[in-house]
Amino acid sequence: MPDPSGNPAFDAARAHGVIDTFLAMPSEREVQVRKYDYIRDLAMDDATQAMEMPAEYMFKDVPHYDDLPDPVAEVLRLMDAHGISMMLSHVHGEECRLRPDRFRGFFHVDPNQGMEAVRALEAAVTERGAIAAHTWGTGANPQVPINDKKMYPLYAKCVELDIPMVLYVGVPGPRILMSSQEVAQLDEVCWFFPELTIVTRHGGEPWEDLMVKLMLKWPNLHYSTSAFAPKHYPRAIVDYANTRGADRILYAGYYAAGLSLDRIFEELPGVPFRDHVWPKFLHENARKVFKLDV
Amino acid sequence: MSDAYFEAWRGGVVDTMIGIPATAEQRKREHYDRFASQILDKEAREQFTFPAQYMFKDVPDFDSIEDPVALLIAEMDTFNVRWALLNVGTNPVAREALAKHPDRFVGGCSVDPNSGMDGVRHLERAYHEYGARSAQVFPAGLTPQVPINDKKMYPLYAKCVELDIPIFVNAGIPGPRVPFACQDVAHIDEVCWFFPDLKFVMRHGAEPWEELAVKLMLKWPNLYYSTSAFAPKHYPRAIIDYANTRGADKIMYAGYYPMGLSLERIFSEMPNVAFRDHVWPKFLRENAARVLGIEAALP
Repeated sequence: MPDPSGNPAFDAARAHGVIDTFLAMPSEREVQVRKYDYIRDLAMDDATQAMEMPAEYMFKDVPHYDDLPDPVAEVLRLMDAHGISMMLSHVHGEECRLRPDRFRGFFHVDPNQGMEAVRALEAAVTERGAIAAHTWGTGANPQVPINDKKMYPLYAKCVELDIPMVLYVGVPGPRILMSSQEVAQLDEVCWFFPELTIVTRHGGEPWEDLMVKLMLKWPNLHYSTSAFAPKHYPRAIVDYANTRGADRILYAGYYAAGLSLDRIFEELPGVPFRDHVWPKFLHENARKVFKLDV
Repeated sequence: MSDAYFEAWRGGVVDTMIGIPATAEQRKREHYDRFASQILDKEAREQFTFPAQYMFKDVPDFDSIEDPVALLIAEMDTFNVRWALLNVGTNPVAREALAKHPDRFVGGCSVDPNSGMDGVRHLERAYHEYGARSAQVFPAGLTPQVPINDKKMYPLYAKCVELDIPIFVNAGIPGPRVPFACQDVAHIDEVCWFFPDLKFVMRHGAEPWEELAVKLMLKWPNLYYSTSAFAPKHYPRAIIDYANTRGADKIMYAGYYPMGLSLERIFSEMPNVAFRDHVWPKFLRENAARVLGIEAALP
């Protein structure tokens, strides 16, 4: 059990077990570097080709492992150290198979794959227990905007399967085009698919005010805090969580992609959420949106 | 005139577009009022009961009809139409006709892509509950209009692939005086590319882009053309040539009874169409049966 943080509401909420809606499994350094080749392919500038992590100019202390014999054990160690009961990862990962009590999986889809992606999503949900669809249209080649027609069969399948779609909004860190993840594109999707549950990742900046407006307007739109150190959570998002949006903002970290859990949990108790927000933010909203108790 | 035509005709015709006979007033209420708000010109608004009537001579007309299904079947029998594709998605009489005469009708389900997931579910229900074996969309007749390659169409195309049923879509300049852009044949290219398994059947002529329609049928194996709403003497030359050369499996007969043409007119002109002998049975029956999945049930 972690030590008291000095924020009793945070500690009380954490005592029920945090659900971290972002996990990228760690790898040894050389493997980790190669995971981002597809982003380097989309980038035009030389600097990105030379970066180990293509958004590293934005982060201090990106986690690195020179030697990592048992990644699942390492993640479990960190989870226990910080009071994280469950992390949401990818359904094909070893961790989901070995420890379904601690890890649940999203299924990543490439909208460029058309009906093959639709069929693979359906199989992942019905046969392998995937709890959500996940896509990053900005990293697809070619890029696919959030409101592009290629996304529509996938959104329709999410509605049929009654699962959320997890996607990315705001200016992306890697030096590739932002035009496929503008917050404004969510409006049309939420309009055409009123039953679709969406969880956004990666901040939505600099359109966080629009993000709040759209969450007010669309009941099934949610925001998670991935890729942001807690001291950088946008003011508009914290304010919205403290007022009408307590049920809409979900905690997500950024381990092992860009932030350590040590840093996140050192800063987290200092976020000025009101007391009643903490349990919703740390676990209740994720349980509800991803139907983790069903 | 060709003996091959008569021989093929005697084997039975599959008509991929037929409707339940109805009075002009009924048809107007059931079909045309839905896009009346899109028709702006005075003549069409005030004088037409059928929005494309300026294009047709002798639109079938009925004062009153006692038993429309019996009338339709009698008409089909007269012209040896063994099977006909009926829209059961919106018309309860058609639904009943299909339920009572599954040996004479194949169900289609018209869908409005503007209705989103409700439309997808409607199609799925029509497939499971009413026996629909195809979808159909009239892009220019929707409010608002929906281009053939619009995102609103994509969930419907995906559902057709999942159900393994064809979709019949109007292509070419629409008869009613509404904008045509949404039915540009060029839009079909993108749809066939993204949904390679989708069986897509053009309706209503594809004019004046019939040459592009042929090019696209050469390119895309699951793209077809049906002759709906065209009297046989007006079948486009490019389509006949294509059927006579590489496209014998791609062109299928569709009439337009009772919406705008009588079967009597269609089948009196038909023997004069310049199809080569081997094309006739494919055109009149086999291609439609294959695409609709009713080959095994054919006489």
